[in-house]
Amino acid sequence: MGSDRTLESIWQRRAKAFRTETMPYFRYMGQSGFPAFLSLIVISSAIGYIGLLRHVPDDFPFTIVGVIALTLVLCWSPLRTWLAAGDTVFMMPREADMNGYLRLSLRYTTLGCAVLVAIVFLLYMLIYVQGPAINGAWTLGIVAAGLKAVNVWGAWQERQMTWPSMRWLLRSLRWAMTALTVAAWLTSLLWQAAAFTLLLGILCMVLYRLPSKHRFPWERLIDEEARTRKRYYVFFGLFIDVPTLSSSIIKRSYLSWMLRRISFANRNTFVYLYSASLMRTEVGGIVLRLLFLGCLIVYWFAEAVSLSGYGSLIAFFIFMGLIAVQLGGLRHVHRYSVWKHVYPLPEKQRTDQFLRVDRFAIVLCTALLWLFAAIPLALSGVYMLSLAAAVLAIVYLAVRPMRLRKKLAQDEEEE
Amino acid sequence: MKVSGLTGGYSPRRPVLHDITFEVKAGEMIGLIGLNGAGKSTTIKHILGLMKPQTGDVRIDGVTLEEETERYRSAFAYVPETPVLFDELTVEEHLRLTGMAYSVKDNHYEEREEELLEQFQMMPKRKAFASHLSKGMKQKVMIMNALLADPSLYIIDEPFLGLDPLGIRSLLERLVEVKQKGAAILMSSHILSTVEAYCDRFIVMHHGSIVAMGTLEDVRRAAGMETRGGSLEDAFYKLVTGGNA
Repeated sequence: MGSDRTLESIWQRRAKAFRTETMPYFRYMGQSGFPAFLSLIVISSAIGYIGLLRHVPDDFPFTIVGVIALTLVLCWSPLRTWLAAGDTVFMMPREADMNGYLRLSLRYTTLGCAVLVAIVFLLYMLIYVQGPAINGAWTLGIVAAGLKAVNVWGAWQERQMTWPSMRWLLRSLRWAMTALTVAAWLTSLLWQAAAFTLLLGILCMVLYRLPSKHRFPWERLIDEEARTRKRYYVFFGLFIDVPTLSSSIIKRSYLSWMLRRISFANRNTFVYLYSASLMRTEVGGIVLRLLFLGCLIVYWFAEAVSLSGYGSLIAFFIFMGLIAVQLGGLRHVHRYSVWKHVYPLPEKQRTDQFLRVDRFAIVLCTALLWLFAAIPLALSGVYMLSLAAAVLAIVYLAVRPMRLRKKLAQDEEEE
Repeated sequence: MKVSGLTGGYSPRRPVLHDITFEVKAGEMIGLIGLNGAGKSTTIKHILGLMKPQTGDVRIDGVTLEEETERYRSAFAYVPETPVLFDELTVEEHLRLTGMAYSVKDNHYEEREEELLEQFQMMPKRKAFASHLSKGMKQKVMIMNALLADPSLYIIDEPFLGLDPLGIRSLLERLVEVKQKGAAILMSSHILSTVEAYCDRFIVMHHGSIVAMGTLEDVRRAAGMETRGGSLEDAFYKLVTGGNA
C-alpha cells in the first residue's frame, strides 16, 4: 500500500480518474455528428492546403503566416496538474517532494504541445521551402524545439510569480520575444538570427530572475487546473448535460457599462442577472473569442472575394452557428441556483427575460459578423450575396426564440 | 408566519420533524435553538419551500407557498448559514439585483444601498466580485440584501458565523431597528448569550421536536428550573441532556 501513496502514483491515479470521468462525454460527442463535422473541416482544409502547395502565389505572406502559426503553438504552454482545492490541506505538507509530481505533469503536457508544434512546423515548412527558405528546415526545426523548451520554462517561471501584473507583463514579453525570434530566423541569415536570439535570451534570463516568486504556486496551479476542467465541460456541454462546475469569472470592465444601462425595475431582474453572467462567465468569453476570430476570417475571405464571395458567407454562417450554439449554453447557468427558490424572482418572466438577453447578444454578434462580410464585398461590387445572407440570418433570428422557448420548457419539465 | 402541525423530512418513512407548531408575530424576534441535527435547518427549509411538509403547513402573510408563490416569497428575506452569491456579480450589483427582485423603489434604493454599505463597513469592497470576498464579507452581503428588501419577516440561519465583531454589532443593531418598525424575525443560532439578550421568545428543538417554547421564564419552567433562575444556556443544557450535563 505504501507505494500507492507516492506522489507519482497519486498523479497517475488522478490522470486515470480524469480519463475515466471524461470518457462517456467523448462517446456522446462521437455520437453527435461532431467528428463528421470536424472531418469535413479537416478534409476541406487539406484540399485548400494541397492546392496552395501546388501553386504558392508569389506574394504569399510567408513571414507573417509563419510568425503567427509558429508563435501560437510555441508560446502556448498549458500544464495539467490535476490539483484541486483540497490539496492545500492534503498535498501541501509534501511540497518538498512535489518535483517528481510536477515532472510528470510537464512531461505529459509538453509531449502533447510538442506534437502540435511538430505538425504546424511541418505544414508550414512545406510552404516556406517554396519561398525565401533563407535557413534550412533542419536548422529551423532545432530552433523551434529550443524555443518550445524556453517557452515551457518561461511559462513555469510566470506561474511562480507572486504578482499577477508581473506575470501578465512577462507573459506578453515572452510572446513578443518568441514572435521576434521566429521572424528573425525566417528572414535573416543564420549568424544574424543566432546573434539576435542570443541577445534576447540573455535579456529574457535577466528579466525572469527579477520578480519575487513562490516556491510552489499552489493557488495558481489549482486555479489553472479548475479552468482547464471547466473548458472541457463547456465543450462537452455542447453535446450533453454536464455537471455544473464553479464558473471562472472574468471582470471584462469594458462591457460593464452595458449592465449599468439596464433600468432598475422588477421586469429586468433576470435581464440583469443573465447579462452579467453572459459578460463575465466562460460562455461570454468563448462568444467574444469566436466573434473576434469570426470577424477576422470573414473579413479576410470577403476582402479577397474568395469563391466569388461565397467563401466569406460560408465563414459568416459557420461562425454565426457556433456563436448561437455557445449562447444557448447560457440557459444552463442559473438552472440550479438556490436564489430562485428563496428570492421573489419573477419566475414566470424568466423565459421572456432570458430570451431578451439572448436576442440582443445574437443580433449584435450577427450584425457585426455580417458587416465584416458585407462592407468588403460591397467595395468589390458584390451586393446580392450579402443581402441573401442577411435575409437568411433574419429568418434564423426570428425562429430562434421559439426553439429556445421550447428547450427552456423541456428543461423545466426535467427539473 | 404560522407553522402548524409540521411533520417532514427527507424520507416519508423517517420524518425528521415531528408536529412542529409555532408562530412568529409582527415586532418580535424569536430564537430557534438546538443541538446540531435537532431539526432547525430542516424547519427553515420547510418554511422556505425547499422541502415539502408531509403533514401540516406553513403560512406567511396568510398564504401558503402553493396558494400564492410570489406573495409568499416577497414577504420574507432569508439569510442562509452558508452565503450563496453569484460569482459574476459585485457587492453593489447583488444589492441592485435584490432591489429589482423585491421591487424596491428606485430613489429609496440608492439611499439604502449607501447606508447599508456604510453600516456594514463594505464601502471599500462595493466593486469587489463575490468570489474575491471572505466568508464573513459574503455573509455581510447576504445580510445587506435581506435588510435592503425590507420585508415583514426575516429568517436568519446562524448569522454570526464568520462575521467580525463590528459586523455582529451592526447586524444586531439593524435587527432591533427593523423589529421596532414591526418586522418579525426568526433567528437560528448557537450563540445562546446573544440569543438570550436580543430575542423575545425562544424555541428549543431536540430530536426534531419542540421541547420548550416561550419566554426565558417558560423555557426555564420546561427545564424544571423555575425556582432556581439561571440563564438560557443553563436551561438549554438541562433540556437537551436531561440534566446529565
